[in-house]
Amino acid sequence: MFSINEMFWPAAIALAWVVGELSFRWISLPRISSYGITGFAMAASQGEILGDPSGQVVAQMANVAFALILFELGYRINLRWLRHNYWLGVTSLVESIGTFAAVFFVANAFSMSLTSSLMLAALAMSTSPAAVLRVANDTRSTGQITERLLHLTAFNTVLTVFVFKIVLGYWMLESAVSIPQAAWHSVMVLFISASVGVLFGVVVPGLLRLIDNRGRNSTVAFAITVILLTSLTHILGFSSLIAALAFGLVARHRRVVLTQTQRNFGALGDVLTVVLFVFVAASLDWKHVSDGLGIALAVIVCRFLIKTASAALFARPSGIGWRKGALTGLAMMPMSAFVMLLLEQTKYLELDVMNQVAGLAAIVLLLEIIGPVMTQRALMLAGEANQKEGD
Amino acid sequence: MALEPFKTATALTMGVELELQLVSLTDFDLLPCADDMLHLLARNRFPGDVKPEITESMIEVATDVHTRYDELLAQLQQIRDALVAAGDKLNVGLCGGGTHPFQHWSDRRIFAKPRFKELSWLYGYLAKQFTVFGQHVHIGCSSANEGLFLLHALNRYLPHFIALSASSPFSQGTDTLFDSARLNSVFAFPLSGRAPFILEWEKFGDAYFSKMEKTGVVKTMKDFYWDIRPKPEYGTIELRVCDTPLTVEWAAVLAAYLQALCRMLLERSDPPPTEDDYLVYNYNRFQACRFGLDGYLVHPQSNENLSIREDILATLERLAPHAAALGSTPALEALSLLASSQGNHASELRKIYASAGNVASVTEHATRMFRRQEAL
Repeated sequence: MFSINEMFWPAAIALAWVVGELSFRWISLPRISSYGITGFAMAASQGEILGDPSGQVVAQMANVAFALILFELGYRINLRWLRHNYWLGVTSLVESIGTFAAVFFVANAFSMSLTSSLMLAALAMSTSPAAVLRVANDTRSTGQITERLLHLTAFNTVLTVFVFKIVLGYWMLESAVSIPQAAWHSVMVLFISASVGVLFGVVVPGLLRLIDNRGRNSTVAFAITVILLTSLTHILGFSSLIAALAFGLVARHRRVVLTQTQRNFGALGDVLTVVLFVFVAASLDWKHVSDGLGIALAVIVCRFLIKTASAALFARPSGIGWRKGALTGLAMMPMSAFVMLLLEQTKYLELDVMNQVAGLAAIVLLLEIIGPVMTQRALMLAGEANQKEGD
Repeated sequence: MALEPFKTATALTMGVELELQLVSLTDFDLLPCADDMLHLLARNRFPGDVKPEITESMIEVATDVHTRYDELLAQLQQIRDALVAAGDKLNVGLCGGGTHPFQHWSDRRIFAKPRFKELSWLYGYLAKQFTVFGQHVHIGCSSANEGLFLLHALNRYLPHFIALSASSPFSQGTDTLFDSARLNSVFAFPLSGRAPFILEWEKFGDAYFSKMEKTGVVKTMKDFYWDIRPKPEYGTIELRVCDTPLTVEWAAVLAAYLQALCRMLLERSDPPPTEDDYLVYNYNRFQACRFGLDGYLVHPQSNENLSIREDILATLERLAPHAAALGSTPALEALSLLASSQGNHASELRKIYASAGNVASVTEHATRMFRRQEAL
């Protein structure tokens, strides 16, 4: 039987795309910001146009979209850089741990419970790889800030998943397990997820060589593999995000011959990005957003200050000027898509994190819209955006 | 502004300038980060000179003035080490090579300096296509007229330098079939080519430069993109046809070859240069660009057809006593080995392309070659 509801998601995605194109042309708003606004406007809580997407096919598509982005991010990370410039590692640790501590402090000041404060602090450490990579690619940005932005994002993504899993374990089993046990569980999940990614990273380039794909474009091969990897880790209950990142990282460091891949995975990536960002905002409930607006603003400001200050502080020892350091920190503002995907993957635990962690929904919504704008402006101010997005 | 006086220098001193590529270590495309490199390098004393070039993915380094090959080589190696260290800190790869194998010229950004912006406006896409990388070698001259003599006496040897240094077989992603595709970009400029055949500096100033200046076409000697041009403020002539080799060791060898050659030419045992020498000049230059060491040149005075490879080997034999006197025998021995058995850097890059099947691997190989110390 035909149901009109089946039309809603495709129509929402089409609409989001149109809004994205028009608002980019009129006010240079990054397209992904528009996708978020459109998604939120049509979300379940705002008149039920879109049903709660969680657990549906669209959620799986968003997962694949995100995994593709993490693969690409992993592929652009050069671990040897850390060896030559350990100040970059210091920057990463200080900005992540500093954000965790500061947000935990703010949450306490708003008298949130211990576990909710820890959860919020863990999630606030992260920069969303989807937003930064998308903006960097769309503005065809290249240079030192872009490179640092991508590396710091990858590092704090891993740190966040790690700390988040510990907090989650602690939260779920509050009295039953100790923190060391939760940490051990978190380490194991990360380790196995990463191992699966590493295995793919070793096998796939080998297979590509075997079928003599050298010199040809590997975009399709990598995209298919990422889809496979996402379903596999999903079924086994591991982190598809970490697996995809590890896959990209190993595929890069083990490449014997270089293969060209299209930025954003070409048109496939473009389509899935619309799905991803509409999905993220459509998962939000207006009630959660309005309830936590105060704490959300406090967390956003404090996160901004810590990230910008840490990046500026260690800019000089790491080889750039403080201004460029501060711009790197500014560019690291987005966090929405990553947080939502991380939560989506813990759905089976039946924890209503959005409900329990005050302010999180408002942070996600606000940063979904202004986060990409801040990244875009930072890259333009640094003179690294080749031109305005997509011109 | 009249032509400035030619400062005299110690004869046969030499200095080298190298234009280098800054590339991404992820996709090996050019990376616009000259600004960040210069910022970082300015913090420590740099063992030479370093400055920006016309697009942001290029950097130019220069040595001091040297009389000896081994000292020049040592400084170039120090420069290389300082650059590699800075590149490591910023996650930037450095390499030689006359062209970047697959960059898209329209992606290039012009370095923010008034002269570069001006050139960009004047030359349009030519300026961005001018993202090519050359080695310039200066030779000190004891007088202006000696400089002009050397400049023209070198015309018959010019193909040697093109063939030996050629390292730009790829452009815009494809094999151009040229060993030096870079020089084709240089020829597109209206003031490229060769200097007018005038052997006295005064006459050069009155009869040529001031007339050109009056036309409004040029303001300084810098506006000429000649293959060899006099550089009055240094008291040198500047050979500009070489592609930047893949290693600094090779850059030193080429400079030593030019130095020894000039020493021989100053003995004036070759027949003196004439205007008619230039009848075959463009043809010879094309042969060297296209075929490298396998090309043939026409001797401008005997009209013989000579293999460039064999002509170089014969010249090296004649240069042996001069190299011994200048202390550059190891350099000329390395040249002789290269010309007789190995190929030039262009053929090395083609070998990489043949085995890897893609142009990004060619640049990756070039970044690895640039880092390592080459045993000559």
